[in-house]
Amino acid sequence: MRAPLAFAWRSLVRQPARAALAILGVAAVGALLLDMLLLSEGLVLSMRELLDRMGFDIRVTAVEALPGSGPDLTDAPAAAAAIAALPGVRAVRTIRSEGVELWTDTVHSGGIFLGVGGEPAQLWTILRGRDLAAGPELVISEYAADLLHLEPGDTVTVRASCDGGPEAPPPATFRVAGIVELPFDTPDAVTAGTTLASLEAACGVTGGIADFLAVASTGDADAAAARIRAARPDLRVFTNDEMIGLVQQGGFTYFRQISTVLTAVTVSFALLLITVLLTVSVNQRLAEVAALRALGFSRRRVVLDVLCESALIIGLGGALSLPLGLLLASWLDTILKRMPAIPAQIHFFVLEPQALAAHAALLAATALVAAVYPMQIVARLPIAATLRNEVIS
Amino acid sequence: MTDGPNGAVVSAVGVSRAFSMPAGPVVAVRDVTLTIAPGEHTAIRGPSGCGKSTLLHILGCVDAPTSGSLIFDGRDVAGLSDRARSLLRLRHIGFVFQRFFLLPMLTAAENVELPQAEAGVAKAERRHRSLELLDYVGLGARAGHRPSQLSGGEMQRVAIARALANQPRLLLADEPTGELDQVTGEHVAALLDRVNADGTALVVVTHDLALAGRARRVLTMRDGRIEDEARQ
Repeated sequence: MRAPLAFAWRSLVRQPARAALAILGVAAVGALLLDMLLLSEGLVLSMRELLDRMGFDIRVTAVEALPGSGPDLTDAPAAAAAIAALPGVRAVRTIRSEGVELWTDTVHSGGIFLGVGGEPAQLWTILRGRDLAAGPELVISEYAADLLHLEPGDTVTVRASCDGGPEAPPPATFRVAGIVELPFDTPDAVTAGTTLASLEAACGVTGGIADFLAVASTGDADAAAARIRAARPDLRVFTNDEMIGLVQQGGFTYFRQISTVLTAVTVSFALLLITVLLTVSVNQRLAEVAALRALGFSRRRVVLDVLCESALIIGLGGALSLPLGLLLASWLDTILKRMPAIPAQIHFFVLEPQALAAHAALLAATALVAAVYPMQIVARLPIAATLRNEVIS
Repeated sequence: MTDGPNGAVVSAVGVSRAFSMPAGPVVAVRDVTLTIAPGEHTAIRGPSGCGKSTLLHILGCVDAPTSGSLIFDGRDVAGLSDRARSLLRLRHIGFVFQRFFLLPMLTAAENVELPQAEAGVAKAERRHRSLELLDYVGLGARAGHRPSQLSGGEMQRVAIARALANQPRLLLADEPTGELDQVTGEHVAALLDRVNADGTALVVVTHDLALAGRARRVLTMRDGRIEDEARQ
């Protein structure tokens, strides 16, 4: 009972309905706060995770632009060979994407055709079937497989249209080797992947062009990137960290700004809620506090009781806000992912220790600041005058 | 703690207490000199607003005189920090209030334990002493009851047990029977007599002539001054 927390708990639950409302209020506000914190870095973290998952930590492009968004590399095979020969480089893949039409006996669809130079391709995860082997084979996204009713072993007719190639190359027949998941595919993406050579053959073009090169270092991406820059100063080299930096400059900051504003609003709301509740609670028991002071309770002790009460409300509400916030984040993530052109594996809300730590720190600071005014009331309480007023009233 | 140089528990020397009011200062206590000896039983009576409670608050170190000095056990209270005054009240002064001020969320025993806990008494010891004190005030069987389950007289008896929790040398009671009917007030008054007979100095502020009449020394206040002192 002596422990201030235990005493504060007894004080809190003497008004169970008010305590429950306060805790639920903090839980709701805390859930929103958690979601804002998850949102502020969620896209970036999700993007980073996808980049890392692919196993390549460096991208090489022709200009200062995100891979796939700028002009092509015109001497891709030579650049890939030169980079592969550098120390600290484990693997290089040449990536080219073009438009494609795919059809079976009954279904026809347009989509994206990925050509990957270097083996194994490593750009996708096999869901069913196997990876590419020799011959005209391709892998397709799950959505494409469903749309075209394809399974591993089936054949599909392909007409690819490449930059610099004939406008209407003859159709080619490919065997479906596997159904795959591509990290940056949207849920309704019709994507097919094959070797770079097969893509070029389908297009009727000779080699040399690529969107970008994906490079895997032996461990030190920065050192490998520096070597590539030194060897090919005409190319632009990005580590995954630098890619994320580019992505953040390119519009992802909206989410951070929105979440910062909403975080400030939710914290302010929590602050006001707790301050009002504690102030009302303290004002209702001024005479009791004065009596405790008369009995010898120190000013520090009665102030600590108020702080502990604030900490309990915030602590319990904060703990409750975690499952509530995660549930809400999952629901909001589902809604946001319905926006067009959002990769299926990208998440807007990503749970990470830093966000949890920030959540806890913000709530702790809120508990402290919210208790300042009621603590002041208690600290400055004139004992004799309060006891006298109580009798008069 | 030992008695002061003159053997007093507490001495007020020429104390006055003025309050600032919008219409001008109001002097509640004027130049009062008073000594409470160990084991003494004193009643302070007088009409409403004569300064009885203010004087009691000054003697109990919860209010400070605007002039004059208060010596508790030989120490000038004006020189003590807020923390030191709190400790002095905790260890040496017990308060009984007209409205009891028991904490409603605690049981009778827990209310009695509270000042002991603040004084750092070990849990087992304070539990034992609380039950002893509740037995002393005749409420041993009600230790687990909350204030809402007790009558007014029982609540005041618990408040007396709480005031005695740290074995104070001085017990101050402000209208302790003010909220009670006559019979219950009699029981509480008898209990206070017993506390005094067991060695605790007692100062009671009251309107109640019967309660005041139980004291060996009766001070009558008017307009902030001690107008009369009678010893029985």
